Amino acid sequence: MTLDGQRIMYLDGAMGTMLQGKGLQPGERPELLCLTHPDWICGIHRAYVDAGSQVIYANTFGANALKLAGTGHTVEEVIAAAVGVARSAAGDAALVALDMGPLGELLEPLGTLRFEDAYNLFVEMARAGEAAGADLVAIETMTDLYEARAALLAVKENTALPAFVTMSFDETGRTFTGCTAEAMARTLEGLGADAVGVNCSLGPDRLLPVVQEVCRTTRLPVIVKPNAGLPDPVDGHYSLSPEEFASAMREMVQLGATLLGGCCGTSPDYIRALRKATADLPCPTRRHEAGSYLCTPTRVVCIDGVRVIGERINPTGKKRLQQALLAGDMDYIVDVAIAQMDAGADILDVNVGYPGVDEAVMLPRVVKALQAAIDLPLQLDSTNPVALDAALRVYNGKAAVNSVSGEEKSLQAILPLVKRYGAAVVGLTLDETGLPKTAEQRVTIARLILERARSLGIPDEDVWVDCLTLTASAQPEQAEETLRAVRTVTEEMHLQTVLGVSNISFGLPNRLLMTQTFLIRAVQCGLSLPILNPNQKELMDALSACRVLSGRDAGCADYVARFAALPAAAPASAAVPGLTLEEAVFRGLRGDAVRLAREALPDHEGMALVEESLIPALDRVGAEYEAGRAFLPQLLSAAQAAQGVFEVLRSAMDAGGRPPEKGPRMLIATVKGDIHDIGKNIVKTVLENYGFDVLDLGRDVPPQTVAQTAAEQRIPLVGLSALMTTTLPAMEDTVRLLRALPQPPRIIVGGAVVTEEYARHIGADAYAKDARAAVEAARRLLGNA
Amino acid sequence: MDRIVEEALRYLGASGADEALRRRAQEAAQLAAAHGAPRWRYAVFDLIHTPDGVALPGAGLVLPGNTAGRMLAECSRAVLLLCTLGLTYDSWLRGLQKRDMALAALADSCGSALVEQGCDRAQEEIAARFPDLYLTDRFSPGYGDLPLSVQPALCRAAGGVSLGVYVTESYLMNPQKTVSAVIGLAAAPQRARIRGCAYCALRSQCTMRREGSCCDA
Repeated sequence: MTLDGQRIMYLDGAMGTMLQGKGLQPGERPELLCLTHPDWICGIHRAYVDAGSQVIYANTFGANALKLAGTGHTVEEVIAAAVGVARSAAGDAALVALDMGPLGELLEPLGTLRFEDAYNLFVEMARAGEAAGADLVAIETMTDLYEARAALLAVKENTALPAFVTMSFDETGRTFTGCTAEAMARTLEGLGADAVGVNCSLGPDRLLPVVQEVCRTTRLPVIVKPNAGLPDPVDGHYSLSPEEFASAMREMVQLGATLLGGCCGTSPDYIRALRKATADLPCPTRRHEAGSYLCTPTRVVCIDGVRVIGERINPTGKKRLQQALLAGDMDYIVDVAIAQMDAGADILDVNVGYPGVDEAVMLPRVVKALQAAIDLPLQLDSTNPVALDAALRVYNGKAAVNSVSGEEKSLQAILPLVKRYGAAVVGLTLDETGLPKTAEQRVTIARLILERARSLGIPDEDVWVDCLTLTASAQPEQAEETLRAVRTVTEEMHLQTVLGVSNISFGLPNRLLMTQTFLIRAVQCGLSLPILNPNQKELMDALSACRVLSGRDAGCADYVARFAALPAAAPASAAVPGLTLEEAVFRGLRGDAVRLAREALPDHEGMALVEESLIPALDRVGAEYEAGRAFLPQLLSAAQAAQGVFEVLRSAMDAGGRPPEKGPRMLIATVKGDIHDIGKNIVKTVLENYGFDVLDLGRDVPPQTVAQTAAEQRIPLVGLSALMTTTLPAMEDTVRLLRALPQPPRIIVGGAVVTEEYARHIGADAYAKDARAAVEAARRLLGNA
Repeated sequence: MDRIVEEALRYLGASGADEALRRRAQEAAQLAAAHGAPRWRYAVFDLIHTPDGVALPGAGLVLPGNTAGRMLAECSRAVLLLCTLGLTYDSWLRGLQKRDMALAALADSCGSALVEQGCDRAQEEIAARFPDLYLTDRFSPGYGDLPLSVQPALCRAAGGVSLGVYVTESYLMNPQKTVSAVIGLAAAPQRARIRGCAYCALRSQCTMRREGSCCDA
């Protein structure tokens, strides 16, 4: 039996719903039946083999350490029994797959299970499966691409077994976590899956569009294992008969799927009908859509025209970002990412290299923070293989690596990582001899990098070439060489090209004009991936015009949408006559507040603006809130307007060489077990606008982490939030640990179920019923009310 | 949509919102509806009254306490309902918090209103399936004395796995905008039993209640 995707191979049908028919009790772990009722399991397997299944899935779907906890049985024990039973039923007639379903807990950032822990749980299963004699591993019913990645890596890195991966999609064409079929296919093929596809959730009649998308976006054999339609909520019966199921599956074969079986509600009768209905069908040759892609679970970026790589997450020359990296301030980095995304970036470059920052720790940390907040694909910018390995591992999707060079050491260190994680890679056209002088030398190095990438099995579309932008003020003759090289790589090698365009204007006046002109010329030469600052509107404007002129903006629709809405020479915002800064903040008009602060600055001290306008406005809205005349959204709008003004003042102080004064330090966290944190985030927004320097530890934070951080950083004030009665004990534990510190901080508690009385009872210094009260309490406790 | 806006403002204790805030709430409600369509699953089980509570053997579930006993007193069957806006709503709301916390606070409440509206629609669907039976008010773990600890078994039996609903060790449901509920099916008309703060899903975070007043819903 070979897995070549050239002919149909039949898988089995449902195990769970068959076991319910045999008498499995609600809540009982089906995997344990391999120990208690091996005859039941063997009978089901044998019936599938008799019906024509060529691969049977062992009864190990939930045989992971999380789900088996408390059963008194180990993963090894259950898997050995399950694979043994399947093997005895299969004989020589079928292959046995170790079945690995979801772990039953959500991974970060949606839940709290760490990627690394999920990986280890799957490693335990995969090793046990191989030891027990499984022929392959079937990872199935996944709804989170991150979890599917963890499982696939576990199989590929710890066994020699082939791996099938299927995910479950609903009628929107996405999984519960929003993952698309294309993102699944592109990510998992890169990671080395042997076949991909869909299982469970719906009947084959409703899965056609999803299967079509998978067939279009992968070269791998495609698996389809749908339900027997939908279950009736009243009697539990599934809607499709074996014949209806089989008839709908014929269309799957016509789309190019070759690994066919059933999921919930199917039985050996369905597999028999499926064989009968599809045995005579020829397998069509699939047309896989080639091209260059990056993706996150929810967004696939196809490089079929110019795509902008945002360059702002790079500490070189950016003091604020340097501070953020040194302090581990992920919030600021996420803000920089969001601003680029909103300005139209398609991909974000991420560089965290700075003295004092351990890239191997910081790069994966930043990747995790960014993918929790935005869904743009990332380009990991480092020459440190350890950092790249760590970051590629936790990146959820298909990333790019920036960069490998033509140097032997770099080729050897970087390309294997690119292959292992299925990434794209930027090849820098320089080598041991230094910077090339001519276009031809650049192209020669590009060819070397391509050849080496090919030798590892990295497809051409994943090799992008950077022909190096040199500074025009120092080497004006080099600009033309760069552009010639871009043209050759595009037209002769048919590869994507990357250029950091803003280097061109370094040291010149009117940099923007020079960068914009170079950008336009490079795009004409074929540049597809400019790395630039998308917040520079003129560059994005130029690209919008280029898209029209290269015929990539049908009917000039995007161009018109971009510019037609803008009134010619309108002021920055429609000014309300007589609006003062205080009034703008009070009314939460951020744009107006920022503008008025900028206008006022030349004639006013920053601190004077804070004392005379900002604080009175915030106090006024606070008083209105207390009186029930203003409401939470208005309190927050005012806080956001004030934040905008603070940013203006901070950059002015920075520019004036005076480091901005930081307010009192405070730590804030949602306690262990609590994953709902919008309340805590609201409190943080308001506190920051009263000048507090808030360190946010996030949600589900263990008591020890709070206490340790408070001690190490000598935090004078801690705020804790709890939402559920079930998590109050964690709040109490946290308070106890904090109280036991040599220099205990003051503590404010709040959250849905916390009361004044409870706060006193557990030894907190204050209870805050809402964000406004938290500010009052914080001011009082730190003695600067 | 107007109803979502009104409900969201009420949850925030901001029924007296001015025109500007109301416009923001409408913006939030439109965004929320675009990012979270309620989806639901339900399953129907026979029930028996036992000394330990109301047992649903087919669901592997016992509902202890007076609330369940009283609510289901005249019922021979119960519907377990789950309704959620899904994980993608949470992801979107998290992103919105980074961009505009004021709008996010409104969207958070709109999400609560949307999922309640989904429950109402599910309930209509259930009523249509059983034209000869009468439905009790729906009630949820945490209401009255029905403990949160029934949450894992309730979610499992209602079809939580196929809806993408998880219950954490501390009995929190994930996605955040998820409601689980029990609805009794009876042969005789059921009087409305649920009124007032004790049965309100928002009682713990209700600003009106904290200040000693009530919305009379």
